[in-house]
Amino acid sequence: MPRPQPRTITFTIDGLEVQAPENSMLVDAAKHGDIEIPVFCYEPKLGNPVGACRMCLVEVEGIPKLQTGCSTPVKDGMVVHTQSERVKTAQNAVVEFLLINHPLDCPVCDKGGECPLQDITFGWGKGTSRFIEPKRHFVKPLELSPLIAIDRERCILCYRCVRFSQEVSEDYQLVLQERGAHSYVTTFDGHPYVAPFSGNIVELCPVGALTSRAYRFRARPWDIEDAGSICTLCPAQCNVSFTVRDERVVRVLARQHPDVDDGWLCDKGRFAYQAIHVEERITEPLVRDGGELRPASWERALQEAAAGLRRAGPRTAALAGGASTNEEGLLLARFMREGLHSEHLDTLAGLDPAELHRLSEPELQATVPDLEFAHTVLVIGTEPVRDIPILDLRIRKGVRRRAVKLAVATPHASSLDAGARLALRYAPGADAAFLQALAEALYGGEVEQAARAAEADAEQLRALAELLRTGGEEIVILYGQRVLAGGGAETLLKLARGLNLHGHDGAGLLAVPAGGPNGRGLLEAGFAPGYGPGLQALPSGETAALGAEGIRAALDAGELGALYLLHTDPLRSELPHEQWSAALESASTVIAHASYLTDGLRAHANVVFPAESYAEKEGTIVHPDGRLQRLRPAIGRQGATRAEWSVIAELAQLCGLDLGVPSGSAASQQLFDAVPFYAGLTLEEIGGRGVRWQERDAAAAFPAPSSGRASAQATRPIPGANGAHPPTPTPISLWDAPEVEFSPSLKFLHRERVSA
Amino acid sequence: MTEPLLFADIDEPGLNTLDVYARRGGYESLRKALTSTPEAVLHELEASGLRGRGGAGFAMGKKVSFLPKGSMDKYLVCNADESEPGTFKDRELMQKCPHMLIEGIVIASYAAGASRSFIYIRGEYQLQADMLDAALVEARNAGYVGENILGSGHSLSLVVHRGAGAYICGEETGLLDSLEGKRGNPRLKPPFPANQGLYQGPTLINNVETLSTVPTIIRIGGEKYAKLGVETSTGTKLVSVSGHVQRPGNYEIELGIPSREIIYGLAGGPPEGRQVKCWFPGGSSSPVLTAEELDVPYDFNSLAQAGTMLGSGAIIVVDDSTPILDVALKVAKFYAHESCGKCTPCREGTNWTVKVLQRIEDGQATPMDLDIMASVQEHIIGNCLCVLGDAMAMPIGSMIAKFRDEFEVHIESRQLSPVGASRALEVAGA
Repeated sequence: MPRPQPRTITFTIDGLEVQAPENSMLVDAAKHGDIEIPVFCYEPKLGNPVGACRMCLVEVEGIPKLQTGCSTPVKDGMVVHTQSERVKTAQNAVVEFLLINHPLDCPVCDKGGECPLQDITFGWGKGTSRFIEPKRHFVKPLELSPLIAIDRERCILCYRCVRFSQEVSEDYQLVLQERGAHSYVTTFDGHPYVAPFSGNIVELCPVGALTSRAYRFRARPWDIEDAGSICTLCPAQCNVSFTVRDERVVRVLARQHPDVDDGWLCDKGRFAYQAIHVEERITEPLVRDGGELRPASWERALQEAAAGLRRAGPRTAALAGGASTNEEGLLLARFMREGLHSEHLDTLAGLDPAELHRLSEPELQATVPDLEFAHTVLVIGTEPVRDIPILDLRIRKGVRRRAVKLAVATPHASSLDAGARLALRYAPGADAAFLQALAEALYGGEVEQAARAAEADAEQLRALAELLRTGGEEIVILYGQRVLAGGGAETLLKLARGLNLHGHDGAGLLAVPAGGPNGRGLLEAGFAPGYGPGLQALPSGETAALGAEGIRAALDAGELGALYLLHTDPLRSELPHEQWSAALESASTVIAHASYLTDGLRAHANVVFPAESYAEKEGTIVHPDGRLQRLRPAIGRQGATRAEWSVIAELAQLCGLDLGVPSGSAASQQLFDAVPFYAGLTLEEIGGRGVRWQERDAAAAFPAPSSGRASAQATRPIPGANGAHPPTPTPISLWDAPEVEFSPSLKFLHRERVSA
Repeated sequence: MTEPLLFADIDEPGLNTLDVYARRGGYESLRKALTSTPEAVLHELEASGLRGRGGAGFAMGKKVSFLPKGSMDKYLVCNADESEPGTFKDRELMQKCPHMLIEGIVIASYAAGASRSFIYIRGEYQLQADMLDAALVEARNAGYVGENILGSGHSLSLVVHRGAGAYICGEETGLLDSLEGKRGNPRLKPPFPANQGLYQGPTLINNVETLSTVPTIIRIGGEKYAKLGVETSTGTKLVSVSGHVQRPGNYEIELGIPSREIIYGLAGGPPEGRQVKCWFPGGSSSPVLTAEELDVPYDFNSLAQAGTMLGSGAIIVVDDSTPILDVALKVAKFYAHESCGKCTPCREGTNWTVKVLQRIEDGQATPMDLDIMASVQEHIIGNCLCVLGDAMAMPIGSMIAKFRDEFEVHIESRQLSPVGASRALEVAGA
């Protein structure tokens, strides 16, 4: 769909000629002339204005009544007054009205000091009150949910939270009850407001009515500092701002990036910061001693680890995941290849890098905003709210506000089904078979049989094919990388070709990485079997480069001796628990970087280095749509934790390899030099907003994939080939993470997983 | 007064049945309308100069003409949420002559090109809703409602929807939200319902009396109808007279007659020995007029010139036995109770006003409070999302302006006398 491209018009506001985009609302247009019109209920992220608070009343010449600036589109030649007596009287009046039932308990209110009601009262209020009657009273504060407290006396009934619940997250839980001055925000029957995005209402609230229970009374605005960084708890990589008090993260706020998160955060991103400061966190090196992991000095831990790695040499394998940065991936890959002469490195997803290479071509790449403006969005093999939550909101926004046609094809019921034109189901594990069946339906093949193989409905498949054929050319396919196995990648590429997604602006593929939040970055940094930095295929050596599954088998068979786990634990993954447990058992040395002692590490690690939390890390990561984003430390490293790039460098040094990284930024520089399509990048260029490498000139250096190249590990069972789909484990939920388990306030959302 | 139009046969026994209605010429207008083009019907409506009888007084034909042309789904909604205090004319129409409303709806839908229609009826009107339902069954069976009405090709579905008791659902956009199954809160305008109304489709919303007048206009012709009444207020109007009068009830009058003629002539004036203190000319939301203003012609423009409005055509007479404070408190409490709470000035302003009036009543006020209250009313008027806030602020404002002396006497005597003392004293002193 064409993006809105408003023309610029000129209007007069307070005697000033100002240029602004046509039809933008007056409150926004006024900003182009540095004029502020106060608002409470207006928030463009929430959709159409409601005009409820009446704070933004202005005078428009030619219209007898005062108009709400939030809902009046600006036209060429319009003459607006925001400072006339009439307007001032109205503004004073609204502030006075808002305050008559407000408790004015600013000294004990969390919002005090960063409160729009305070600011607007100061700027547009009269400063006096004529109201001497008793104020409205409510029982307070109440738990709206385990995460959020509600103080109904402070509420100015701006409707923001209710609109968020009804029209953005579409959980439909918040409602207003009663009428008039007795109205209050609540949920049906007083049930707790538990939803994946509930925390956003705390940030939306323009007064202190909704406060974070985790942050309540922890700090005042003059105690805190803000530090911008990226949340690396999932592949959505939302831009966040850490609120820091006394070297502790006490809050996480959205840092509003329209091309990444649209200004929203999920509850995990908003509240899991608590796990940074918990006792369970590993903040010093641990070494197995007498069968148990015990704290040790850095020197001893490094020596032990280096000894184990030297012993295993080329019989070492490395697995990375989690919040590993590009730099860590690059350095560990170099250490493995140049220091230990091992080619066995992968993420736990164990995807074929040759296929990933072909799928990550710049011409095929869709961006996050494309999800909102496409004609059709096909979600396949992923549940966004579980795998990459913030995109769930983006898809809903497209469907609700831009009539995007949504089709969802998943093995399990999806939370997006309700807004989808088509919701298709197929058997768990039959992703590739389903893609094949869709291809048959699109290209007039034998649909029935293919549909049967995927246990999908042939009729619906035909309807989906019809939708993709006729629904408009801008099609975005959001797929979970799980669908790529067993020939799925090949079929997906075929579909992309057939649907003309190649090089078509606004159309393309968008992957939900299976290899951790920075799955894409690790691949591009060269942390993949047989692929160096910049997706350059390496000449195959004497022994084949092993992927995750190969590593497991080789460990099991005693062919590999040591395993290096960078922010990952196979026993916390969806991979078969017993097989991996056995493989870890067979490894003579297991070295790990970790923040928490998860099952696999507790039982099998020989040395555990404390990992930096995402608020402590520096480096870069890559968003699934190719945006390089920069992590900046918000707080100092906790306890004895050291920069992990330096830990890898020191280990390499002890094994006789000088990686040549005196600093974190030197590591980044090494990355930019190593990846041809990052050429010339600097940390400054990435800055606070990130940069999509596809949009830079250096993107031309993206190596052309050799189609049909025999992949390093192409021998995978094809699902459905022998009539049965391979057993697939239940996908790991976003909430099934140590950060959730160890955050005091999020703990209630954690469920013990029953291991397969 | 010319012959009544709406009430011509109103007391005919059995008029609520199709038989009697048809015998009295019912549905002849529909037949006539369906033989001409929708444009011709629209022309008649425009020519009649009929102004909406619900309260705002917007020209009905013009409203129909605002609906976009084209083949999209269009809706017609009849506002039967008659809740304005003092208003009970629609009730009588629906109860005694439901077919006239149905006929009007079908004709109007033909002119507007609407294919789905709803009657949103006030929840308390159970009897009337039952009567409408029964009439609708008859009309459907006779082919006046449904597919291909009388072979004209025009189809219309009609559903009677019962409200749940909120005054705000009589506000047209609040009504639409309520009809859609949401909380009945007014919407921001624009977009106006004619462009984006029910389910985002173009929607024509009219009051019961307005739609009930449509068959008459088609029968006698728009131009002839326009000759009734005065230039800017054509036709006849049902007036509900209540309060301190000897013969309260609904009267059909020709617009433009002196108000005194209605209050004294038709309704018999206040009881023996009492005088009119003030009167609401158009429901409790219209600014009050005094006894000196009884000769204002009863039509839209004359009342507007007198600083008030014709509103829903409900005259409430207050005589000198009632303290003005009681009137003000009753009115303010009603609107504070019915304010939906969406916009600030109405939610807080109505609530504040009640509290101040209560304080006056309790003897805790000073004359300064009257100034504050007057300014609060000014701050409400024109600043709200819908007209509910104004509906309280305008009459209260007018009472403070016109009866300030009485309020002041009340405040002072209250301060002197113990709370709960006999009120006769104050009334006499007023």
